[in-house]
Amino acid sequence: MTRLTQIPGLPPLVAAAGLLAAWELAARVFDISGLPPAHAALRELPVILTDKESLLNILDSIRRMVVGFAFALVFAIPVGLMMGRSRLTAAFFNPLLMIIYPVPKAALMPIIMLWLGVGDASKTLVIFLGVSLPVIYHAYQGARAVEEKMLWSAAAMGMDARARLTRIVFPAALPEIMVGVRTGLVLALITMVTSEMIARKQGVGDILFNALAMAQYETVYATIVIIGLLGFVIDVGFERLRAHLVAWAEPAHEIAAVGST
Amino acid sequence: MTFTRRASEIAIGILPIALVIALWHAIAASGIAPAVLLPPPGAVFARLIEQAGSRQFLDNAAVTLYRLFAGFSIAVVVGVTLGVAATGSKAVEGIVKPLVRVLAPLPKVALYPAMILMLGFDDASKIALVVADAVFPILLATYQGTSAVDNKLVWSARAAGCTPRRALFTVVLMAALPSVLTGCRIGLIISCIVVFLAEMITSTDGLGYLLVRAGRNFETVDMFVPLISISILGLTLNAAFNALRKWLLRGFAEES
Repeated sequence: MTRLTQIPGLPPLVAAAGLLAAWELAARVFDISGLPPAHAALRELPVILTDKESLLNILDSIRRMVVGFAFALVFAIPVGLMMGRSRLTAAFFNPLLMIIYPVPKAALMPIIMLWLGVGDASKTLVIFLGVSLPVIYHAYQGARAVEEKMLWSAAAMGMDARARLTRIVFPAALPEIMVGVRTGLVLALITMVTSEMIARKQGVGDILFNALAMAQYETVYATIVIIGLLGFVIDVGFERLRAHLVAWAEPAHEIAAVGST
Repeated sequence: MTFTRRASEIAIGILPIALVIALWHAIAASGIAPAVLLPPPGAVFARLIEQAGSRQFLDNAAVTLYRLFAGFSIAVVVGVTLGVAATGSKAVEGIVKPLVRVLAPLPKVALYPAMILMLGFDDASKIALVVADAVFPILLATYQGTSAVDNKLVWSARAAGCTPRRALFTVVLMAALPSVLTGCRIGLIISCIVVFLAEMITSTDGLGYLLVRAGRNFETVDMFVPLISISILGLTLNAAFNALRKWLLRGFAEES
């Protein structure tokens, strides 16, 4: 038993199979139209993935997510690092961030849509906002925890402030930044789906509710499975990348990574 | 010295908020953005105060709060119980850990249509979504906190005649309380966000619905009111929870 659970990837696989089995069983026992059996939903998977329109919709969603995510990283990491190194900057930004934090970013959709329309720009902006906050927060925490002596030594050797930020603070804070980036990735996916559910025009969220409205329940469940797989693949892929980039640091705390929607 | 420093930091902190509001006012007043798109801040805050006394608004806020706390309470009970059980028993750990690995990265909001199909458009599906989102941080924090508890504490309790199960809840859970409460705080803010989103996606009442309805009618002022309300609600809950946490943890060593 213990040896079996040590094979990497096996326990989650078994868990996924168990979930599917439980779903199939529940569907047969309750027999309601709102819960089609697992095999019926899975049969819809290839249909959705080979349908040109659905596929384009899904790829569109992913593209918006990637663009919003990339902009957020470029913006949030420097801001967070500067906040961590300067008390003044931190005191300036902290209360502002505190006020924005509990606002659901996707809830800004209706207002942003008034300004920028229902197209790509609003959705990408919302994803950008959602990803920025956790990344700023963790970059800030990471930069704050950098060993002062390293910075003193660098300054003594004649490194200027800007080089110290990019060549010492950034790498030293990288493990913590990665925790923020992981939270950001999860959030990017959530914000992507939610924003499309609120502004139904295109994308994965739209496929979901369209199918719901047309009572194509198998499609609803198959789309959920696709989104779930996407989340899992992103998560595993990022774990790999993180392990490669910051192999020297001990694995960071997991709570923060899953937390904060 | 520390006091003046703190006071000046608060002053610096108010500055950007004041700047944002001033900029907002300037843009609205200058007429670059028509009032339909960006109402002046004065109008928004006046409306907020006016709404705070209106019966209909308070009823909607109450519905939101009910869903929030119902979902959050269930999430706390389920998350803490599973977390402690996973620490206490290898068998439970073997089941819970892989399940969490598969389910935690799934964007729970994608499950919302399925919950609507199974539980209907009413409160139940929204509460279920809140539970699904809030339970994982609580479960993970409880599991990590309880599995880091010093074994000597358990041995002492066992030597004093405590049953293993009792030791798990009276000793291990209590020792892990700081970590458990951190998870609960994250879960609380998540609940706050999720309940609002669920109400925006499909609803006939609640703060999220007020925002969507105002959006449909192009009543921009009324769109800002629920948004500011949810921000205030989140900040209040966070502050209240921190006070509760401080009181519960009064025996623990100070932590940053």
